[in-house]
Amino acid sequence: MKRQNWFLTLMGDSKRQKFTIPILAILLSLLAGAVVYLILGKNPITAYLSYLQGSGLVPKGNYAAKKSMLTDLMSLLNAWTPMLFASLSVAVAMRSGLFNIGVSGQMMIAGLIATATVGYSSLPAPVAKPLVVLISALVGAAVAALIGFLKYKWNINEVVSAIMINYMVRYFVSFCIKRYMADPVSRQSRAISSAARLSLMDTEIGGLKMDIPLGIILAVIAVFLVRFLFDRMELGFEFRTIGANPLAARYAGINVGRNLIVTMALSGVLAGLAGATYFLGYYGSIQPDTLIATGFDAIAVSILGNSSPIGILLSSFLITVIDKGSTYMSSTVGVRQEIGSLITGLILLFAACGAFFSYLIARSRQKAADAEAKTAGKEERV
Amino acid sequence: MNTINTLIIDGLSFALPLFIMAIGGIYSERSGVTNLAIEGLQGFGAFVGALAATLLSGFFAASSQVPMFLAMLFAMLGGMVYSMLHAVLCVKFKADQVISGVVINILAMALTTFLTSQLNASVFGAPSNKFVLGTSVRFSVPGLSSIPVVGAFFSNIYPFELVIIAAALIAWYFLYKTPFGMHLRACGDNPHAVDAAGVEVGRVRFAAVMVSGALSGLGGICFAYSISAQFSPSIYMGYGYLAIAALIFGNWQIGPTLWACLIFGFARSAGFALTQALGLAAAFSDLFMTLPYIITLLLLIFFSKSNRAPRALGEIYDKGKR
Amino acid sequence: MANDEYIVEMRHITKRFPGIVANNDISLGIKKGEIFALLGENGAGKSTLMSMLFGMYEPDEGEIYIRGKREHISSPNHATRLNIGMVHQHFKLVSNYTIAENIILGIEPRRLAGIFPVVDIKGTNEKVAALSRQYGLEVNPAAKIEDVNVSTQQRVEILKMLYREAEILIFDEPTAVLTPQEIDFLLQIIRGLRDQGKTIILITHKLEEIKQVADRCAILNRGKLIDVLDVAATSTQTMANLMVGREVDFTVDKSPARPGGEILKVEHLTVKNADGFPVVKDVSFTIHAGEIFAIAGVSGNGQTEIADAVAGMIPAAEGSITLDGTDITRSSVRARTDLGLSYIPEDRQSVGLVLDFSLADNLALKTYYKPPFSEKGILNHAAFDSYGEKLIQEYDVRSGQGIHTVTRSMSGGNQQKAIIAREIERDSKLMIFVQPTRGLDIGAIENIHRQILAERDKGRAVLLISLELDEIMGLADTIGVIFSGEILKIAPADTMTTNEVGQYMMGVKQA
Repeated sequence: MKRQNWFLTLMGDSKRQKFTIPILAILLSLLAGAVVYLILGKNPITAYLSYLQGSGLVPKGNYAAKKSMLTDLMSLLNAWTPMLFASLSVAVAMRSGLFNIGVSGQMMIAGLIATATVGYSSLPAPVAKPLVVLISALVGAAVAALIGFLKYKWNINEVVSAIMINYMVRYFVSFCIKRYMADPVSRQSRAISSAARLSLMDTEIGGLKMDIPLGIILAVIAVFLVRFLFDRMELGFEFRTIGANPLAARYAGINVGRNLIVTMALSGVLAGLAGATYFLGYYGSIQPDTLIATGFDAIAVSILGNSSPIGILLSSFLITVIDKGSTYMSSTVGVRQEIGSLITGLILLFAACGAFFSYLIARSRQKAADAEAKTAGKEERV
Repeated sequence: MNTINTLIIDGLSFALPLFIMAIGGIYSERSGVTNLAIEGLQGFGAFVGALAATLLSGFFAASSQVPMFLAMLFAMLGGMVYSMLHAVLCVKFKADQVISGVVINILAMALTTFLTSQLNASVFGAPSNKFVLGTSVRFSVPGLSSIPVVGAFFSNIYPFELVIIAAALIAWYFLYKTPFGMHLRACGDNPHAVDAAGVEVGRVRFAAVMVSGALSGLGGICFAYSISAQFSPSIYMGYGYLAIAALIFGNWQIGPTLWACLIFGFARSAGFALTQALGLAAAFSDLFMTLPYIITLLLLIFFSKSNRAPRALGEIYDKGKR
Repeated sequence: MANDEYIVEMRHITKRFPGIVANNDISLGIKKGEIFALLGENGAGKSTLMSMLFGMYEPDEGEIYIRGKREHISSPNHATRLNIGMVHQHFKLVSNYTIAENIILGIEPRRLAGIFPVVDIKGTNEKVAALSRQYGLEVNPAAKIEDVNVSTQQRVEILKMLYREAEILIFDEPTAVLTPQEIDFLLQIIRGLRDQGKTIILITHKLEEIKQVADRCAILNRGKLIDVLDVAATSTQTMANLMVGREVDFTVDKSPARPGGEILKVEHLTVKNADGFPVVKDVSFTIHAGEIFAIAGVSGNGQTEIADAVAGMIPAAEGSITLDGTDITRSSVRARTDLGLSYIPEDRQSVGLVLDFSLADNLALKTYYKPPFSEKGILNHAAFDSYGEKLIQEYDVRSGQGIHTVTRSMSGGNQQKAIIAREIERDSKLMIFVQPTRGLDIGAIENIHRQILAERDKGRAVLLISLELDEIMGLADTIGVIFSGEILKIAPADTMTTNEVGQYMMGVKQA
């Protein structure tokens, strides 16, 4: 009476489900997206292919002068960098049981201060670029550590204080830009000097003009550093213990309050770097009157990647591909590009159901096992 | 004198939509379901309401206020239906409630932005990312409105303010006076006790989240009819998060939460009033806009010690677990 | 074709849970108006069997007859309609509601306030007061649950059943949290209920209680029904042997203590809770090397706060704590651990272990920061593994996948073994045990008692906090009795009787 369910076998045990469930979530949402395309009367396969073309992973039919697949890919990496940093930032906090919903604010204030101090200076590139990285990291760390401190000292829920700080930053940044830094035409902050910019814009290489993101190197290094921190370092063990059970952490003699602030500061460093690579890399300017969405999307990306550095490397790449590719998709397929964020939203929605999927899998396994036990029991009695 | 009047009038028209969203949050959280999704719920509700108003406005005279009331109704329905997603995730699928809330917000923004553009293009034939609503008319209560200072509370009132006050009273009555409210509040303290009393915890929580969706939708459409005069992605200004801060500050009780919302409202209008009174450039209003948030944070420092979250908040209720 | 003699009859009941058969083909009948006891160790299947009668689970096989009629009891609601009520081991009360509100939860009476129907609190208060007088269960209907003591909470649970007009009353381990005097009172109430015609089912593992009140007694072991006995005609020893499935030796083999120098000195200790209310008041005591000092008291009288304060988990508001000559009053948990303090906490799952971590990580939870586990901040996973292997060998910790088992999946007994292994292995001067045997079966309990005595005999100072008076009387060299945050009496164990200790636990006997 042993009938192996192929689906259950495929999903694997709880260890394998760390990979299989996010993949299932992605497949389900691509399927749902395909249905939307069909309703709109478009071919979903062409549409999905155009996402890949738009992000430089699959060649397009033709390219403009000095453009190629490589330029598209570089542009993708440029957009990927801040998303990767931001998601890592969320993950560092999440693994330690903290919810850093303030990444957006930390990104913006880091970007603003780095822009104001270095962006308009005449410092040479070898000084300006490291200085931008350093200042944004410090600013991000300081703001995030403040959130940790408020929680430690007065038990203020980090979600609430982070949200308050997000909006303070949003309005403060708007004020600074409008009052002191506005470009009269674009109404954003004035473009920063190319010396301070973390992406080498419009660089000619082999007859191609492309934007080379320097930050991506830092971001990939950060992925492996975070991995090392959690897998191999005493500090990471303490973070994980606090994240899994703060009471037991205190019982084990871990200084929970201090670690809380340290975790948030580390998360803030990463958020600050996300801000630097976004505002002083990818864009080169800051827009007033809005709180950027990257910090919120990063939460979901981090969940999709199981808060593991390698998982995040993959999930943030995927989300960026959808985001970046949607412009090209829109122009070739003729569906509004907002559908890109819709598909992203669906992926995240299904990813949030991860616990339910593993519960379902466990339950159907149990049912199968029970049925077996029952038949075995009956045979015994006979 | 005039400044104080504006301060009160604008403060109220901001505080009340915030208040009704916060009451929704109280319903959800007192039943034990963390609700970070208010931001998304109010946006989605406002979207449905604005869509209904746009579709139906053709049937009414241009000056008619009926579409606005219909919009409120549809916003509540829309928010309620969309909130069922949060309820299903949290109650049935046992997902992490915080994560669910964040995801619901992201999805709401993506979905409404996409639908607004798509519908504008395909149904109304005009590529635009917003539904224009215009602001609602206001009225003053004769007699009362001419009393100095106090009169401001009765002048230039948006009709929706009355709807909100009525909804708040009904919500208060149900939460504190009826068996449903008793079950709801008990679910947030000890769901096992509720289960043992023969009431289904899942059903109560599901209903609580739906109420929160409806009230958030109402709050959202009110913002659309006052501050922005349209529905567009700019509806996601973070007021949903502000409502959460207000209810935490109000210790998960309706009465104190009203005070929190009024503080927000008046701090906000005071910021605008100050900019004008001091004759400062418009950019300074942005600086003053940080005030409500700074005040909240400072107040939280003083109050969070004595505040108590519902005991079972965020706890996934599993019948089998004893 | 049910037997008319029985009000409740269960036939061939089988219930399986993942990995175990909780009830295996159990058949029994309960007569109207009797006190029927279910006796068995933890995990014998008593609670599972009664949960099925109360509609919380449905049996996999078998039939249940109530008043001669076959019933599929699908929910507690259904059970209530059949006039069955249950007092659970963990009370199911809403802490910020009043007693009356708790009693009416789910069946609220209504009245009209103007045109609006509202829950009738005032009428309920009167009705509850009347009900409590009728059964001798005095309570103040308007008091909030969080403000009343455990025994009052239990009365509320009983009143809840009576308010719902229950005829068949199930009590799940009702005496576990009570003092000897409160137990006497409860048993009296139970007898009174029987005399008013109610049928009582009493789940317990305490033989004396059965001897005192029960008419008949069913004995369960590992999910199987062993026997149904007439209590009056059976000796306690026979029941005990049947329950455990082997000969039980009640006496703990204990040599006289040989106390050495002072290890722990607590002076004028006061501890306040989050609201600033003192829960431990001016407590002083001393523990010597090779001495077991036990604190007896009813749950919630400040004893766990004493342990937490000594271990550094909560701050001391006043007074001083000295460990082997060093003042540790303001020291961190880590400093105390390094100085030689081991702590087996009351709540093993939410304090003592990180359930999502592997067994190896949990066994190193108090030493991970020292070489060879960590050098210059970098962890050595091989050291975790070899240390874990060594401990599970020595302390016989059993688990599915050895040191790589996720602790959550282990049985309660093995979880406790792991904690005790970790804490003993650190060779501390002071060992604190809080409720070390709670929820464990007799075999595991005996084993832990032996280990506690062995620690004493190695010359360690032992602070034992337990709600089980038997455990305290059996192990302690010195007993301190706590009531409402104050230690009312400290005396050598052999100078006090169980009854005397019980008197102090109630705060009755002021000395």
